Order: sequence, then C-alpha cells, then structure tokens
Amino acid sequence: MADDKIKILIAKLGLDGHDRGAKVVSSYLRNAGMEVVYLGMYQTPESVVAAAQQEDVDVVGLSCHCNEHLTEVPKIQDLMRQRGMNDVLLVVGGVMPLPDVDALHARGVEGVFRVGVPLEEIVGFIRRRAAARRGVGVPT
Amino acid sequence: MDGDSKRDSSSASRCRTWSGLPLQQIYRPGDIADVDYERDIGDAGEYPYTRGIHPDMYRGQFWTHREICGYGGPGDTNGRAKFLLAHGNTGLNIIFDQPHMMGIDPDHPRAKGFVGMMGVNAASLRDFEVLFDGIAIEQINMSLINPTASAIVTTAFYVALAENRGVDVAKLKGSIQNDPLHCRYFGYAPSSPFDLAVKSCVDIIEYCCRNMPRWYVATFNSHGWRETGITAPQEIAFCFARVLAYLREALRRGLNIDHFGPRIGFYSSVHMDFFEEIAKLRAARRLWARIAKEQLGAQDPRTMQFRFGIHTVANCLTPQQPLINIARVAIQSLAAVLAGVQSLQACPYDEPICLPTEQSHRIALRTQQIVAHETGVTKVSDPLGGGYYLEALTDQMEREIVKIMDEIEAMGGMVAAMKSGWVETQMEKAAVEEQRRIETKEQIIVGLNEYITEDEAERQIPIHRRPEGSEEGQVASVQRVRAERDAERVTVALAALTEAQRRGENVLPLLVEAAKAYATIGELMGALRLGMGLSYDPMPEVVGAGGC
Repeated sequence: MADDKIKILIAKLGLDGHDRGAKVVSSYLRNAGMEVVYLGMYQTPESVVAAAQQEDVDVVGLSCHCNEHLTEVPKIQDLMRQRGMNDVLLVVGGVMPLPDVDALHARGVEGVFRVGVPLEEIVGFIRRRAAARRGVGVPT
Repeated sequence: MDGDSKRDSSSASRCRTWSGLPLQQIYRPGDIADVDYERDIGDAGEYPYTRGIHPDMYRGQFWTHREICGYGGPGDTNGRAKFLLAHGNTGLNIIFDQPHMMGIDPDHPRAKGFVGMMGVNAASLRDFEVLFDGIAIEQINMSLINPTASAIVTTAFYVALAENRGVDVAKLKGSIQNDPLHCRYFGYAPSSPFDLAVKSCVDIIEYCCRNMPRWYVATFNSHGWRETGITAPQEIAFCFARVLAYLREALRRGLNIDHFGPRIGFYSSVHMDFFEEIAKLRAARRLWARIAKEQLGAQDPRTMQFRFGIHTVANCLTPQQPLINIARVAIQSLAAVLAGVQSLQACPYDEPICLPTEQSHRIALRTQQIVAHETGVTKVSDPLGGGYYLEALTDQMEREIVKIMDEIEAMGGMVAAMKSGWVETQMEKAAVEEQRRIETKEQIIVGLNEYITEDEAERQIPIHRRPEGSEEGQVASVQRVRAERDAERVTVALAALTEAQRRGENVLPLLVEAAKAYATIGELMGALRLGMGLSYDPMPEVVGAGGC
C-alpha cells in the first residue's frame, strides 16, 4: 500500500439487492479514514476475489441479506486460500440468525456483524485486525 | 442506563418527529384555527377523504388481514398459504422470488442460490397450477407481489390459470403490485429499464381496466423506498411523483382516468413514530384526492380515494431480543388501523432474522386480530380526528410532501429525478443520517443501542429456512416443462410477442396465450425485451439463452 489507509472492498452477491447497510457502512468507513472500493451488487465469489486481488485490498466485506452467506462465504474463503490471499481479512455483515453467526465463526470468519452492531465496533475490529496483518501499529 | 431521570427536553430527539418535523410541546385550538372542516377534513367517505375513504370504515368491514407468504417452490407456498387462511388471513398476499422478479428462469446461472429464497419461485403456468392448487381463486382476494416489469408475466400466468380453470376473469378480485420504477433500487434495475417499466405498467393498467373490473391494476408501493431510510414526507412525495409518471403515460394513451382510477391502490408503510405515521396517511389521503381531481381530471370519487395497504416497516425491528418486535409490530398495526388502512401485512417478529415460521406468522395474525376485536378502535371512523396535534401535524405533513413534489416536478418529474441520481442520493443521505442518530444515541432503539441484553434465548427461537431441495426441484421442473411442451407453439408465440412489443401494442393478450403454451418467464421477458431493443437477458453474460 502506498499510504497508510486501510483498503476495503464491499460487495453484494448474486441477486441480493438489499444495499442500504452496505452503503451506510461504506460511508462510515470512509469517514473513518479508510479507502472503500464499492464493488456493488450482482457479484460472484470469483468476481469478488478477483477484484480484491486486483485492488490489493486489506479487507473484503460481504453484505448478505438473503441467506447466501452459508453457501457463498465458504466459496470465497476457498478462492482466497487458493490465491494465497491469507493476509486479507474477510468480514461479513447483514441479516442472519445467531446459529449462522456461530457457523461462520467456526469457519474462521471472526468478523461477523449483524444489523444493529454499532458501526464503531466494525471500524475498531478492522483497524485492529488489518493493522496486525500489515505489521504496523494500530492507528490512534 | 445513566441516571438521567430528568430528560433533556431541548435535545432534537424530543422536539421533532423522526422525520424531522418540528413539534410544539402541546397543541391548542389556535394551532388549527385555519382548518375548515368541510374543505380540509370532511367526514370519512367525503372529499377530500382526510378521515377515511368509507363513511362506516371498520363498522362496515375490517381491513384485509394479509400476511405475506412466499418461499421455496410453489408447493411449499401453497401449504403456508392454506395455513394462513386457516388462521385468519382474509386474503392472500403472495410474494415472488428474486429470479421471478428479475424475469429469469430458476436455471439461469445468476439465479443460483436465490431460487425460492425471498419469495416463491414460479417459472411457468405449471408453477401457478401448483401454487394455487386447492385454492378457490374465484373467491379469494389475491394480492400478487411483483413490482417489477415482469409483473406483466405474473399477471399473464394468473389470467391463464383462471381461464384454464373456466373462471371468469371479470370476477377475479385482488391486485398485482405493478410498480416497476420503484423497484429499480432493490437490485431489480436490470429487470426494469425505464421504457420497459412504464410500458409494462401501463399495459397492465389498460388490460385489467378493460377485462378485470374487480382487480386492482396496481398497488403503487411507497413502503419499499421507506425501508431505505427516507422520511415520512419523502415516502409519500416520491411515491406520488412516480405514480404521476405512470398515469401521465396512461392518459397520453387515451385512457380515461376514471376507468382505472377506482382500481388503483397504494402499498404504504407505518414506521414507529406513532402520530407522524397517522398524520402521514391522512395527509396522503387528502393530497391524493386533490391531485386526482385537480391535476388528473378525475370525476369519479373512487379515483380520488387513496386506498392503501400497509406493510409495517421491517427496518424498525431488531434481530436482538427478537420477541420485543411483537410489541413494535403491535404498535405499528394500531397506528395503521387508526390511520384507516384497507389491508395490513404485520411483520412477523423474526423478520430481521429469517423467513417467517408458522409460529411467528400466526402471532402476527393474532396481533391484527387483537387490534380488530379487542381494542375498540374500530367502532368509530377516524377516532383521532379533530385532535389539535394530529390535525396540525397532518397539515404540516401535507405541506412538506407538496414541497418535495414541487422540487421533483422542477427537475422534470420522477423519471428525470431517478435518472439524474437525485433520488438515490436522498436515500443514502437519509440512511446515513438515521445511522448517525443511532450511533450518537440521539435516537434510541431498544435492545440495539440501549437496554442491550445478551439473550441466550435468542438462540432458541425457531428458524425457518428455504426447504431443502426446493431450488433443485424448481430447476428440474422448469427443464421438464420445456422438454414436454409443444416447442413449435412456444417459438411462434414468442416471436409474435416480440413483434407486438416492437409495434407498441398491449402485449398482455399474447402473453396469456404464450403462458398457456408453457413458455417460461425468462423466455417471455426475453421476447418482450427484444421487442424494445434491449438484451434478451437482463443479466447478459449468458449468451444464446432460451434457445428461442
């Protein structure tokens, strides 16, 4: 990264068009000093991972409101692993029941943020994890 | 909570509605001194209908209890529809899935993972036969929720089903949502390019107005955009401006406003600010009456009546401590009834978590039934009317709505406002502003930013998911339909559709015939799109789809 800004890609998969959360979170992250690549809707696991690699992002953020998280997140994890993107943080937000949050945690997705989480919590989480991955101090 | 037992009476959250309308501490007769009862309010059932569209309101008939259902394959939804009817739904309210609304078949590559997820999948007439198996469509008041341009296919499937069953379509009661412009913001923009959206909408209006006198030609949807975070006055202003775009086209085609005006409905919302929502709907009734009479030339009183259903705003609900959503929906439902609603979808408490379970669906119905039978509010029309606060707020709301409509008109109308990106900007601004209020605790959402409880019981609530195998079942089913039908008949029908669309004709009659030949929704929409010079596929990475 040329500068110290954390770079995050935000995407929605398939036919999921519930993008209010993705837009509000993007706005908040920008205000918090991050660089947001808003990939938008109609993405596939392949297009998300390809864009993430091309943009050299620190974080991939998925917004899931149609239960797609259960099938698509594992695919994205696999693709990222295949491409050696082990230092890229994956976070998931949206609508899902608690057991699904547990299931994602069990799959190694630490950052799962359902509707209602204070956005400051998302910012804090990303800053701590992204900074750790880049081996820099946590920005104050 | 910190012990601020004396609330800060000056903070913005105390002095404004959630939409930002300034409020006095108390309202007095002087605040509504300029209101003329005959001119501005009138009795229920009297122009301008501020107090309701029927003189007797709920003494005559309760609002329709219309819990929405739709998931999985048509057989799954058929079962839940019958369950709801057995428990007190007085009409059906069927929502179609994203592939159907997008106008693609369940085996389209982009449908994968989304078939039957957020609605019922229906790819052909065959699916409608299963969906309504054992349901007397000639008796049931049937709301079909498809707002997109593919609503024209949904309508064709329903008409084809009726005709095949020997049911006189002139007797069908119900509605098709039919508001393609509105759905351009929920991921459905590919399904509803502007020209196709307006053409499809007005084809439906024209066809239904000629052939289906008991059918609502559209239920223009103000609720959907409200979920993006826009305010109460924006909700009504944006909806009315959009409706004017369709109706001006209908008038341009030479349709008489009073031929279909009585068959227009609206699908609105109630949020949580109790009085604001009631004022909003009363203002909408008054304003619509004036618009219909003065701008659209309506003479039939029924054209001037803002007939509306309500979908309680789901974004008010929290996944945290989900059972408390029952209280929220009860309050919203009460507001809807006090506002004089004609039909109500009360969200199940698990709306922010999963598809409704039978239990949550039943509780939502019971909530409606408690309002209807136990509260006594149904005994008097517009029981809150005449209150100083409510009448002042109704006036304030109307002024605010008109201001926004004038702003849109100055831009050249709603289509221009959408094309320029202005509408989307308003939505994003409103959503960011509401989030700011929540983050700073200027606005308290119980369980979300205050009164937070780690509730292990949340893990125990039943969760409903799309039935296992339903996507695969729909994929297999549509492929079977294609294999078993008369291919030649379908090819000819689709070519005729494209040609009719190219000539600007009303395509619904030909759609009904093609539906009877078991053409699929992807093929039908593809044929229509080609006729307008659009790509066959709304999501055109798939080349040569459909084989027709």
